[in-house]
Amino acid sequence: MSSPASPSLDVATPERVSLSLPVAGIGYRCLAYLVDLALLFSFWVLAYFVFTLLVSDVVGFFQGLSGLVRTLMVLGVFATQWVYWTLCEVLMGGQTPGKRLVGIRVVRVDGSPVGVLESAVRNLLRVVDSFPLIYAVGCLSVLLTRQHRRLGDLLAGTLLVREERIDLDKYTATAAPSVALPPAGATARLTSGDVELILSFLARAPWLEPAARTRLGTRLVERYGGLDAQQRATLLAAPGGAESFLRARVQAER
Amino acid sequence: MASSLPAFVARRRPDWQSLEALLTRQRAGTLRLEELRTLDVLYRRAAADLAHAQTFHPGTDVHRFLNQLCARAYAAIYQPPRERWAALLAFFRRDFPRTLRAHGAFVAASAGLFVLGILLGAVVVLLEPRGAELLVPENLRDYISRKQLWTDGLLSVTPPGAVASGIATNNLTVTIVTFASGLLLGLGTVFVLLNNGVHLGSVAALCVHEGLGAKLFDFIAAHGPVELSIIVIAGGAGLRVGQTLIDPGELPRGQALVLRGRESVKLVLGCAPFLALIAVVEGFISPGDFFPGWVKASLGLALGALFWGYLLRAGNAGPRAGTEAG
Repeated sequence: MSSPASPSLDVATPERVSLSLPVAGIGYRCLAYLVDLALLFSFWVLAYFVFTLLVSDVVGFFQGLSGLVRTLMVLGVFATQWVYWTLCEVLMGGQTPGKRLVGIRVVRVDGSPVGVLESAVRNLLRVVDSFPLIYAVGCLSVLLTRQHRRLGDLLAGTLLVREERIDLDKYTATAAPSVALPPAGATARLTSGDVELILSFLARAPWLEPAARTRLGTRLVERYGGLDAQQRATLLAAPGGAESFLRARVQAER
Repeated sequence: MASSLPAFVARRRPDWQSLEALLTRQRAGTLRLEELRTLDVLYRRAAADLAHAQTFHPGTDVHRFLNQLCARAYAAIYQPPRERWAALLAFFRRDFPRTLRAHGAFVAASAGLFVLGILLGAVVVLLEPRGAELLVPENLRDYISRKQLWTDGLLSVTPPGAVASGIATNNLTVTIVTFASGLLLGLGTVFVLLNNGVHLGSVAALCVHEGLGAKLFDFIAAHGPVELSIIVIAGGAGLRVGQTLIDPGELPRGQALVLRGRESVKLVLGCAPFLALIAVVEGFISPGDFFPGWVKASLGLALGALFWGYLLRAGNAGPRAGTEAG
């Protein structure tokens, strides 16, 4: 649930609705970066092992290279480090493997997908953001700017939005056939906030502590049931009774 | 009366799902024309659903879901014209050199301070060589007393690409510090400029004193003119910030800083590509004996002349020059 304090990217569309997307904060960014870092690192470890398998005398091999070839190799290494980010972001719709795993995406400030130039600028400025060490400048900038952007983002006109994986099945899931019968018309209609509350309880119930699960279920039945004391007692006595009742209660709202 | 949340979802969900499927295929680039039309229709419906959810079911998962879905579709449908290249080009063609000329007095003051520092350092060391013990860092003195330049080891130990990127970050640090310390009422910039000048002057004087002058010149010639110019420009931007803080005019200090600080940031940002370029020269051409001294010297002169020619002439003659300047 996004509180007013959590920043968002607001876009006014020509259809006269405003989109508001949650902005990814420093935690998401760090996590995604660490995943990408691990990927790159394992790539280099793998490359090193393959290389040592193919070439027996590593030091001699490098000393045998001419200056130009060595320069080209260093440039190549730099390119692979930098190209990885931009190539991924352009081809994967603003995401790198790390960002995809964490569920964040680079977009322009107007919500449109990031282009080659923006991606190149923001990734080239990693040098500045990582200065002097462990991304101190970048972290400071992320913490101080309203939409959590590092210097590269500021210059490229980009930011990171969070992608939530939202399961709509919970709204349409059907109850076990008529375990409990809610009294028709005896209760007030549920507001969408109430529905959301009940459904989020039902979605999380399987992972709750048994005691907490019963306690919350009981309180919800008391609040939204419209049952008298005796009906409630029989309902709550049955195992899983509260939950199937609540499910049916939400179903009745159709 | 609005329909209840589960009913709303159950009724509208098929449309959302087909929109999602279309968006996935749109990204893969396998849409046909009639599907594109369907995408457009479905997007408009989803936007209407979003407006409905905003009104009747705010803060629910459905609301968040529709936000996300519409954002994806919006991004797919309204791709803005890509004009950033043009904006970037315009910045370097006109905006940057004009801003620099507008702040010429500050850049000149910054250059004056820097030269003053160099002269101070050089005069002290030339008149009293023991002053070098005070002004020149010990590791540099070690090198020089062995009749070596510290740059000789630069290429043999590390590959030139690494040298170039290392130098780029180092120069960047100096540039950023020179500019940012202007926030200390400009005193920081004054100190950094003088300090760097004294450092450079004393090292140069010590090298000359020890008979390494030619070698030092050989190293500095190719990249020095542009690199020192950039530091001077950053110093000018820093002095400008300091001046704004001391004399904000009719605005509150914070607002004045935001307003005029933008101009100063332009100066620093404009220098960035030249800084990268000159780091390449410093990493690949300056050290070692791959290039003879006269090549380095003329390259340095040419680069310096080009740089300042560009700064002083580009975008000069108002609107008329918009097309041919550059």
